[in-house]
Amino acid sequence: MTSQTSLGAAVPAGGRIASPGRIRRALGRNAPGYLFLLPWLLGFFGLTLGPAIASLWLSFTNYDLLQSPTFVGTANYVRIATADPKFAAAMKVTFLYVVLSVPLKLAFALLVAMAFNRGIRGLPLYRAIFYLPSLLGTSVAIAVLWRQLFAADGLVNAALANFGIIGPSWISNPNYSLYTLVILSVWQFGSPMIIFLAGLRQIPTDMYEAASLDGASKTRQFFKITLPLLTPVIFFNFVIQTIDAFKAFTPAFIISEGTGGPINSTLFYTLYLYQEAFGFFRMGYASALAWVLVVIIAIFTAFSFLSARYWVHYDD
Amino acid sequence: MSDIRLNRRTFIQSTTAALALSAFGGGAAFAQDQRLRFIWWGSQERADRTNKAVAAYLEANPGLTVDGEFVGWSDYWTRLATQVAGRNAPDLIQMDYRYIFEYARRGALLPLDEYLGGALSIADFGENNINAGKVDGKLYGINLGVNSSAALYDAAAWEAAGATPPSQAITWDQFAANCEAFAKANTRANFYATADASGLEPSFELWLRQQGKALYNDDGKVGYEPADAAAWFTYWAEIRKAGGCVPPDVQALDTLTIETNPLTTGYAATGFAHSNQFVGYQKLNKAKLVISAYPVREGGQPGHYYKPSMLLSLSAGTQAAEAAVKLANFFVADPTGVNILGVERGVPASDAMRAQLGTTLDDTSQQMVTYIADIEDVVGALPPPPPKGAGEIAFTLTRISQEVAFEAKSAEEGGEQLVSEATSILERA
Repeated sequence: MTSQTSLGAAVPAGGRIASPGRIRRALGRNAPGYLFLLPWLLGFFGLTLGPAIASLWLSFTNYDLLQSPTFVGTANYVRIATADPKFAAAMKVTFLYVVLSVPLKLAFALLVAMAFNRGIRGLPLYRAIFYLPSLLGTSVAIAVLWRQLFAADGLVNAALANFGIIGPSWISNPNYSLYTLVILSVWQFGSPMIIFLAGLRQIPTDMYEAASLDGASKTRQFFKITLPLLTPVIFFNFVIQTIDAFKAFTPAFIISEGTGGPINSTLFYTLYLYQEAFGFFRMGYASALAWVLVVIIAIFTAFSFLSARYWVHYDD
Repeated sequence: MSDIRLNRRTFIQSTTAALALSAFGGGAAFAQDQRLRFIWWGSQERADRTNKAVAAYLEANPGLTVDGEFVGWSDYWTRLATQVAGRNAPDLIQMDYRYIFEYARRGALLPLDEYLGGALSIADFGENNINAGKVDGKLYGINLGVNSSAALYDAAAWEAAGATPPSQAITWDQFAANCEAFAKANTRANFYATADASGLEPSFELWLRQQGKALYNDDGKVGYEPADAAAWFTYWAEIRKAGGCVPPDVQALDTLTIETNPLTTGYAATGFAHSNQFVGYQKLNKAKLVISAYPVREGGQPGHYYKPSMLLSLSAGTQAAEAAVKLANFFVADPTGVNILGVERGVPASDAMRAQLGTTLDDTSQQMVTYIADIEDVVGALPPPPPKGAGEIAFTLTRISQEVAFEAKSAEEGGEQLVSEATSILERA
């Protein structure tokens, strides 16, 4: 393990093959660095890479924790692909969530960032306040709060009652439950907002001045200057938020109390995976589900990068 | 203690020695100081009672340490399975009838037969209560209390509506009519006669048993037809339509805990639960609750059964079996332990213990004991333990009942779906 990692570091810039002596010297030179990295390296190999490799192996087995894993070849993957209606249901819910929450969240984040970019007083304070939900968003406490907000006798319905509307129990009605989770996600617009704000600051103001002199309206300036120059930032936010949305777990787990209900309407992919693993003790099958998700996210990200050359403008 | 000073060298020496010792099998070095680990699921109330009982036992048995650990039901089985898989199982394990076969047959539990009559004096439990802890003829679980399914209701609310609450004296059809009458009386907005039991496995099972059917046959296969499930869904759909039970979005909030039951959340005057939970329900409900049997089927068979609410098992790898058995015996056969635990885990199986318990119980607990005695006429044989995958099927029943309740499926389609999904889950398990 150590020799492998150090080997890469020991190859000199010229690309010559390192002799053992050279490796030793390089190792000696870099030893303090590796020492400082040690906690992270231990965590990475022990808690991330090791378990990931183990789960790849488990995905070809049946394993219920009590008995040793039995090898079943690709049976788990075949079942996912051909005979698992819950997989299909979870995919549908997850894709719907990604497709709805990511664009909405990005649009909302951009809107707030643009409002902030006009140079309002006390910006750092507002920025901090608006960023706060992002820090809290994936926490259990917020999900519990959400459950209270959208319950039959929750705050949302109390507000609606003022207008004579009797709202349903949003979180336990299969027609609405997923949308409460989308709203929760949009509400956590803080981190893309901060990045958008930084991106907006980078756009030279003389461009806008020139455009105004030429008589371009604010809308036209937005579409012809702001958006094109912001595309690298939009792209970055899009990729990060999409990956996050695919992996969303806590809100659905808390709001449905781990059931993914009602009627699987909040059965996020990760929640289904969790149920299979820790509810029904099918560790092998759950591992296969996890690897399928890895592949799906990888494909999605690859497509994003491929498409980027057509719509992302880097100013070089 | 304060006189012992450590310099750096002795500190390092002693820690190294301690590390070396623990590497050679840990606790063995402190043999006279025995340590037991005990894990159970349950509420804070249960933990308080259990810790108090353990403390009382330790007072009389110095040299023993007991590390208790408790979690909620849904997290319990994950934690236990992980610990067993990691060869780190606790010595004393609270076990459920649903899982005891699985754990015993995989060699995770210790047979207790050799302690019978010795450290473990449970002869007066009666054959049925002892056999409920047996797997393949060997004893793996000690009955911690007897319970049965039950209907719990707010008597004052039923009275205010002028309707008759559920009991073994009425039929299911009468119950449906009574719920409708309750709705017509309309005493409170958003308040219904009963929770919607169409997705509750124990209620469905009881209803099947009254017709001579079962959730699972002796061979572990599905014990009912699609038409039976459809009839069950239809029965509740009609009550729902008449406003007799809570609407589906209220029922969907019930996650099978005392806290989320429509009775506790104030939407229903009746809820369905296990009888030993009556103590917990009364604690969380302001209204005075009554515990009663389910409605019956005209000319039908007994639907209820006495079930070990939970069992106490020993891990196969325990290093202190004798001490663990003695503590277990204290919980079920020693008046001191039994009286501290009360009936929170169910009514004690031992006749002698139950008899001496009578004077120490509060009103709620006393009601529960009376209930267990009163339902004898509607109690049938204990069904075989549910097959592997039964937990997932209970989950499926709830989901399909929701699909019918939200009118995404007809009752007939729901019945077909339930049997086909249950069959395929059993084949897979």
